[in-house]
Amino acid sequence: MSEALARIDPVSGSAVFANGVTLTLVEPMARFSLRARQPEALEQLLGFKLPRKIGASLDCAACLGPDEWLLRAAAGTKIASGSGQPVSITEISERSVCLIVEGARAAEVLASGCPLDLDRFAVGRATRTVFETVEIILLRTGEDRFQVEVWRSFAPWLRTALETAALQLR
Amino acid sequence: MSGFRLDQGGRVDRSRRVSFSFDGATYRGFAGDTLASALLANGVMLFGRSFKYHRPRGLLGAGSEEPNALVSVSRGPGRHTPNLRATAVEIYEGLAATSQNRWPSLKTDLGAINDRLGMFLPAGFYTKTFMWPRSFWDKLYEPAIRRMAGLGEAPSEIDPDHYGAVYAHCDLLIVGAGPAGIDAALEASGTSKRVILIDEQDEPGGGALDDPALWSWLNESLKDLAAAPNVTVLSRTTAFGYYHDNFVGAVERLTDHWAEIGSGPREKLWRIRAGAVILAQGAIERPLVFAANDVPGVMLASAARTFLQRYGVAVGKSVALMAAHDSGWRDAFAHARAGVNVAAIIDVRETIDAALLAEAQALGIAVRLGHSVIEVHGRLGVKGMTVARNDGSAATRIACDALLMAGGWTPSVHLWSHSKGSFAWDEALGAYVPDRPNEKVRCVGACSGKWNFGSGIVIDALPTPRNQARIKAFVDFQNDVTAKDIHLAVREGFKSIEHIKRYTTTGMATDQGKTSNLNGLQIASQALGRPVTEVGLTTFRPPYTPQTFGALAGHAKDDLFQPTRKTPIDGWAEEHGAVFELVAQWRRARYFPQGGDDMHAAVNRECRAVRSAVGIFDASTLGKIEVVGPDAAEFLNRIYTNPWKALEPGRCRYGLLLREDGFITDDGVSARLTPDRFHLTTTTGGAARVLNTMEDYLQTEWPELDVWLTSTTEQWAVIALQGPLARQLLEPLVEGIDLAAEAFPHMAIREGTICGVPTRLFRVSFTGELGFEINVPAAYGRALWEQLMNAGAAWGITPYGTEAMHVLRAEKGFIIVGQDTDGTVTPHDAGLDWAVGKKKPDFVGKRSLARPDIVAAGRKQLVGLLTDDPAVVLEEGAQIVADPAQAIPMTMIGHVTSSYWSEALGRSIALALIEGGHQRMGEMLHVPMPGQVIRAKVSSMVFYDPQGARLHV
Repeated sequence: MSEALARIDPVSGSAVFANGVTLTLVEPMARFSLRARQPEALEQLLGFKLPRKIGASLDCAACLGPDEWLLRAAAGTKIASGSGQPVSITEISERSVCLIVEGARAAEVLASGCPLDLDRFAVGRATRTVFETVEIILLRTGEDRFQVEVWRSFAPWLRTALETAALQLR
Repeated sequence: MSGFRLDQGGRVDRSRRVSFSFDGATYRGFAGDTLASALLANGVMLFGRSFKYHRPRGLLGAGSEEPNALVSVSRGPGRHTPNLRATAVEIYEGLAATSQNRWPSLKTDLGAINDRLGMFLPAGFYTKTFMWPRSFWDKLYEPAIRRMAGLGEAPSEIDPDHYGAVYAHCDLLIVGAGPAGIDAALEASGTSKRVILIDEQDEPGGGALDDPALWSWLNESLKDLAAAPNVTVLSRTTAFGYYHDNFVGAVERLTDHWAEIGSGPREKLWRIRAGAVILAQGAIERPLVFAANDVPGVMLASAARTFLQRYGVAVGKSVALMAAHDSGWRDAFAHARAGVNVAAIIDVRETIDAALLAEAQALGIAVRLGHSVIEVHGRLGVKGMTVARNDGSAATRIACDALLMAGGWTPSVHLWSHSKGSFAWDEALGAYVPDRPNEKVRCVGACSGKWNFGSGIVIDALPTPRNQARIKAFVDFQNDVTAKDIHLAVREGFKSIEHIKRYTTTGMATDQGKTSNLNGLQIASQALGRPVTEVGLTTFRPPYTPQTFGALAGHAKDDLFQPTRKTPIDGWAEEHGAVFELVAQWRRARYFPQGGDDMHAAVNRECRAVRSAVGIFDASTLGKIEVVGPDAAEFLNRIYTNPWKALEPGRCRYGLLLREDGFITDDGVSARLTPDRFHLTTTTGGAARVLNTMEDYLQTEWPELDVWLTSTTEQWAVIALQGPLARQLLEPLVEGIDLAAEAFPHMAIREGTICGVPTRLFRVSFTGELGFEINVPAAYGRALWEQLMNAGAAWGITPYGTEAMHVLRAEKGFIIVGQDTDGTVTPHDAGLDWAVGKKKPDFVGKRSLARPDIVAAGRKQLVGLLTDDPAVVLEEGAQIVADPAQAIPMTMIGHVTSSYWSEALGRSIALALIEGGHQRMGEMLHVPMPGQVIRAKVSSMVFYDPQGARLHV
């Protein structure tokens, strides 16, 4: 965005490796919270399809609730403001950071603090949940690969918690 | 046979010797031994001292039900674990265990004087005796009693261990890996169900471990389960609690049995959500109640057989059996067949199954039917017993060094009880058995009351010709409750087991009455002359056995105790020596000391800079909510007290939020960006609560509104620039925004860029000075802060913290919700009438503002307070009185809510909530403090620049 000012992320970008599990910070991206009673209203504005089922994802959009989608795109992406329409489009690019938890035992690391049944959380699913007391959005992007969206001020704690869990796998 | 270890038999690994210590003495055992079996093998019978009477105690049981043999294990600093059951401590090379509740030693314990004084220590003794004088309780009685009566010592150092945790999900959870649990797991192993089988012991098998005839079946079954991909078997794992919707908590012990503990977690907390649960927890044998039934060497018959057949250890050289149930006979026969002398079988029953009698005869065991033990001889260990006919005649002394008790069986229904399943009384078993489930759960095997241990009679206490008041026949071994204590409770009028339990403490020890509950019930039932079902059923609560705090706390300590939220600028503040304070979950810079500054000096310097030049403040923690949609203005109009519909895009407004009861709950300045988009701010601590409240109204009260709320607190870093030079500093850095006063007035918002980054620039002030709040995407917050510091160096820019912010806002009479309000303050009380829309048809809390008590005179109102002596700074929270000469207790008419030294005014200032405060302007009030009464005059809340001239420049 800016040449003059440096970006600073709340956690470092380098990968941490323990017991076959890596934790990596995802590069900056654009994020938008999309809200509407009817997904068609948003689809017309944005020109792409939104997933209909809660917990489903389609391309870069995930359906988080009956009237809520999370859109993630390349950094700097601009979209319509929705002004005058019965929708809400709010930019939240910097609200959270995304950690990738990857490896054969990635699900085990997440299960140390996330009460979801990850056996039943198929690739492509996305949902708002918690890790211990911290709210996260969890996306399964591969059998052994998860993305964890977390608000930036909680990221250092979450990263330490995930790292500790990965280190202590037996 | 060497010592008490049999030449053969048992599941211990005789090829692996293990040395360990108990109370400093070194012993040897085998891999696979528990501390109990290994000490027994060495001839040790004495394991501990009892809780109240300090009586010598040995082993009663062989598993987690053990009430007596509590020991402490220490393995280095911070690794001291008290109150472990010796029967559940696996030995390892170097294990160091000690006994508890004795001084100076286990064999010579001075506390045993309590045993002699037993007549004077009945149930309820402490509450009856030490009530007077009341003031002695805290300092004298309680500490003295705690020293005398007790368990092991709590560790005093920080626990260095890690504790893991996991959420697990399964279709079927089976608790207990005895034959019934293993059968259930085998049955499910061929299905697609996810099965978890957990067991508290070091190896699965339960009762099968005590029966060599079942070992080959056990081996085969465990092999099959290990091969089944859908079955997880967890040993050394205790299911401690059963919660709603088949949620079961369990702790797996990972390293306590290792000689070298390594670096991994010590224990792991399993939080298991199960589709269905099968409880296969088995049954626990019941002791018999007779005089001196607690002498070391008197134990459950089934426990003796466990030591014999599982560990290859005889509990004595010559054992006797006191039975009320057939199962004990089989245990005695097992001893005889293993070559242990069986001195006698005594059975309280007059007639016995002929097959048992024949077998006893074949094994050459003397049998006495219709007899009971009326005394046990020996103090530190059994030396013999006296038995008599049930009518008290023909008392005979029989020598033996161990006495086995077979009193029947009690199903282990603890988890069933946690799950709120109902119970049925089974007269034949003398026990409550599971009846109707409350969750998706069923009981199998012995815990359902179905067992093949033979039959028996249910008896409250063995017949004795002796004076009941003169004997100690124990019911609850761990809490030292005797049959006569329960009789006493009944005589004193207690009729329900819930009351008897609390009065006598029976069943209330750490073993939760596993061996005592039903004997206590039977005795109470007999004493009351009412059936057991009318006396009651006690409830079991988690945990099934005591668990470590570490397992429950998990990683929640040190860095991981709870998240400390930090702003993007926090790192700069830390590098520049800021002193921090916690506000909700956030840490915020409180002040920035320079040189040898104390807080007072730093805050004064920071305040001076804001009033005379420019200050810079990290306001990133302010809650932010983006309110978007065609009905956004309508929504805010209903939520806030003041009107919002006419607010023009580009302008800001102060919003006041009430609860339904009309009291202030939050406030903040919000901006209208476009007709259907608002940028709200809330207090730091109120951000989540306000969003939830708004979402609640939107979803439940006004679902027709097309408006959505998005938290943007963390999207933006917010830097406040406050002071007369703020505009000059900002001007060269901002593009696309005209900062001129007429183009960008106070309470306005503009969008543009600053240092090349998009910004939402607010012209607002919480200091009374010309001020801006610069919102930039959070990742750029720190770089922008540094840029502003560089650019402002020439202007004397000064970072200030929350403390100076508080002083500056108090000088202007701006309130802090939660400090100057306490949940009982209305807008009128706070002098904020101007922020309440008089013409609005409704807003949250409007109706309450007309209630009689809210409009009544004499409410506490927020006012300013100026001390007579300008140098005196009042204490926040100090009480205020009208007349200092009145008698104590004085009538307090209010209290100080905020109080500071005002550098700008050169004197102290304060805000206070005072009864009828608005009508007291100029009145002199008094603040009584230790050693003096401070005089202070009621004033306006606005102490500095009352006309607001400094804002509009």
